[in-house]
Amino acid sequence: MEVVFKEFPWVAVLILLPLLGGIVCFLFSGIAKFTGLMTVFFTALSVLGLGWQIFDNGVYRHAVGGWGAPLGIDLYADGLSLLMLAATAFVALGVSVYSAGYFERGYSTRFWPIWLFLLGALNALFLTADIFNLYVTLELMGLAAVALAGLAGGKNALTGAMRYLLATLLGSLVYLLGVALLYHGFGTVDITLLAQRAEASPVIWAAFGLIAAGLMLKTALFPLHFWLPPAHGSAPPPVSALLSALVVKASFYILLRLWLEIFGPLVSNTDVSTLFGLLGAAAILWGSVQALRQTRLKLMIAYSTVAQIGYLFLAFPLATAAGVAAWSAAMYLAFSHALAKAAMFLAAGNMLRFGGHDRISDLDRVVQRLPLAAAAFALAGMSIMGLPPSGGFIGKWLMLEVAIKQGRWEIVIVMILGGLLAAAYIFKVLGHTFTQAPSPHESKAVPASMEWSALLLAIAAVLLGFLAIPVLSLLNIGNPFGISEVTP
Amino acid sequence: MYFYALIGVGLFSVGLYALINYAHLLRKILALNVMGSGIFLILIALAKRTGETQPDVVPHAMVITGIVVAVSATALALTLMLKLAAETGRAELSEKDRD
Amino acid sequence: METLTLLALSFDALLNLSLLYLAWILLNCEDLLKAIVLFVAFGLLMALAWVRLDAPDVALAEAAIGAGLTGALLLTALAKLRVIETNKGTTQQLKQDSENFQTLHYMTPLALLLVAIGLGYVVFSMPPISAGLSNDVATNMGNSGVSHSVTAVLLNFRGYDTLLEMFVLLVSLLGVWSFGSTTSQHETTPGPVLDTLTRRLVPVLILVAAYLLWVGAHAPGGAFQAGSVLAAAGVLLLLMGWRPGGYLSTLPFRLILVAGPGLFAITAALLYLLKGQLLAFPVEYAGIIIFALETTATLSIAVILAALFLSEPPHSDKEHI
Repeated sequence: MEVVFKEFPWVAVLILLPLLGGIVCFLFSGIAKFTGLMTVFFTALSVLGLGWQIFDNGVYRHAVGGWGAPLGIDLYADGLSLLMLAATAFVALGVSVYSAGYFERGYSTRFWPIWLFLLGALNALFLTADIFNLYVTLELMGLAAVALAGLAGGKNALTGAMRYLLATLLGSLVYLLGVALLYHGFGTVDITLLAQRAEASPVIWAAFGLIAAGLMLKTALFPLHFWLPPAHGSAPPPVSALLSALVVKASFYILLRLWLEIFGPLVSNTDVSTLFGLLGAAAILWGSVQALRQTRLKLMIAYSTVAQIGYLFLAFPLATAAGVAAWSAAMYLAFSHALAKAAMFLAAGNMLRFGGHDRISDLDRVVQRLPLAAAAFALAGMSIMGLPPSGGFIGKWLMLEVAIKQGRWEIVIVMILGGLLAAAYIFKVLGHTFTQAPSPHESKAVPASMEWSALLLAIAAVLLGFLAIPVLSLLNIGNPFGISEVTP
Repeated sequence: MYFYALIGVGLFSVGLYALINYAHLLRKILALNVMGSGIFLILIALAKRTGETQPDVVPHAMVITGIVVAVSATALALTLMLKLAAETGRAELSEKDRD
Repeated sequence: METLTLLALSFDALLNLSLLYLAWILLNCEDLLKAIVLFVAFGLLMALAWVRLDAPDVALAEAAIGAGLTGALLLTALAKLRVIETNKGTTQQLKQDSENFQTLHYMTPLALLLVAIGLGYVVFSMPPISAGLSNDVATNMGNSGVSHSVTAVLLNFRGYDTLLEMFVLLVSLLGVWSFGSTTSQHETTPGPVLDTLTRRLVPVLILVAAYLLWVGAHAPGGAFQAGSVLAAAGVLLLLMGWRPGGYLSTLPFRLILVAGPGLFAITAALLYLLKGQLLAFPVEYAGIIIFALETTATLSIAVILAALFLSEPPHSDKEHI
């Protein structure tokens, strides 16, 4: 039994099951919802299987077609891939249960196939060791994400989706040019081989500049965040949850992976790290202030994503002296943000559905009639603010610890300011819970599945705070952050 | 063949300029396509450096993949543009929703 | 000999400068229709460039997809846009994107020039001789099941890319359908020229597609080129006013749409179960597996591309909304 589990091709399931499930949803729209839920459930189980596998056997490498790099494409799974897959699985489960209640018939048949293709693209992206294959997964993910963002139609959603499409296509093209230069400079597109062959040269610098620029645009790092708020703010809530929780993290994951393995050791002069850190700090402050200024709930949450992305980039300057600690903190934050932000968008979706609007100033009537949504929002907010004992708290605490140890007080101050601003914008919403409000005139019932999926994701984001030791030990399987220190 | 690669750089830059500079979405879509062609040209031109008569065919396969991705993206973008125009009367992104 | 080289060189120079010039004009000219026509011309010149760079497979793909189908997509989109604009009473001129700040307006050309110079320098800094993966490809050709190297890379060595790429095509069609109908009531009837042309051309295009598919195993050609030529036949029929109507929503039609990506993914899964490796074609069957994958891929690509051109969602989808 144990051998079967250890040898089972979990990686193949993770990539192929959602793609085939999507096809079934497309062919038989009558069972799309059921097929979709089953597919997501078994995909999530496969993450568990893969986790067991690499916990016992160490990192997983698979040569597709049996050719092996550089001729073929290699799949690769270590702790970092596992963390991203796990975040994807959790969010996918929550959002899928929510969507089963949210999308009505016509939208449902369109949503499920595209969403399963998006899930397949995300899993494939986290599992490949080939930078051209990454380009193909990026495009599959991007086009699926745009299709979902424009699903509801209407002026705002279409404008948001269009802006998103232009940004994501430009980002992919710029990334592809970087890939072209790397291939012609070093004769391979395999990450491991590139890491061995690459040396500091104009090619490396240009490729890094292009790849970083393309991925920063896709990750919506300030000041390239302009496309995010309209797209995430006007998409259907479950789609906003997917975009904010997973899709922007996917491009960050690629940037981090390539930085750790290829570019970091070569261009690791402090200027680049400092620049990333500065942009991250600017993102935190700008995003938080903008979030505070919003009058619409979903736009506020979208700007909060811009701010939270910034924290991930603070790890770059910190990592020059303490790689493992800084990156572990950043990835912990990414994981908790994925859960919390998904929960927050879903809770906002419940309020929007119940009250028919998401004007923050008029939410009092809604919040008090939807205690589960309010609770989900509050718990998710704890993690976003970084209050103990949530996952967001652990991530921020780990990062603060590194910053204090290194005497980087400017980073400490930005992080604290960001936390205070987050508290301000979250309490702006939650404050309504405690004020008196007349009952709403008209309201639409919210199915229990939608209430509970939001709440459970929020609870997971809080519970993540108690799992620091196991999560960090899983994350460091295969030593993803130590590479630059082990092999100079 | 370096000359072809240089023209590729030129096409990429010209496309990027037009993408940033013009408001009309159809022109932005054209600009993205021209940028893509520029990248493909760089990929294929530099694949001739094998020192033999046969070029390196791996970039050829990559470019065919890229061309198919480009037409998929173009189709999606054009439909989105038309839906947006039907909604607003203009094939442009309005400034109001930007902040 | 020397005159021949000189001739080739001046041809290359002319081709290159025309490409850049065309790109500049098409992106900056006032009239969008002119821009699209120039874009098609640009695509054809690109195809010439691919031939000059010894990339006949890319030339075929560019001519069929890059210039042909993309051009058709752009032209129909413009026609539909004109109808929308007439209905709404809006007109548009060549306008700068006012979203970009005024200062940026002066700085972008300068910044882009610097980027171009930098990239140009990097291109020149590449070593003059680099085998890339050509030796690996040559060594493994015997085990690939086909004798044409581009097909070997696309369907076997990097077949996994192609598997995902089929899903990119499919997802774009689902996206186009999910945005809903873009056609106004306005329908055109074809003139006699188009009518005759179509009657003559469609059978020829189907034959050409079959040939390209078959020849792909040992010479330039293959699923993507064949699929797009077949799609061109479909586009001609659509231009004639032929409409698939209810067919689009039927199960057989949907099966054709997903046959290519579906069979690819199922093959990958089966081979994992049988051989413990994704997409590891057994050498003795590689040729036949690749041919089966390419045939279904050709059909799916053709139907997806033609459906993208039509861009009408199937009727059954509309009823639900």
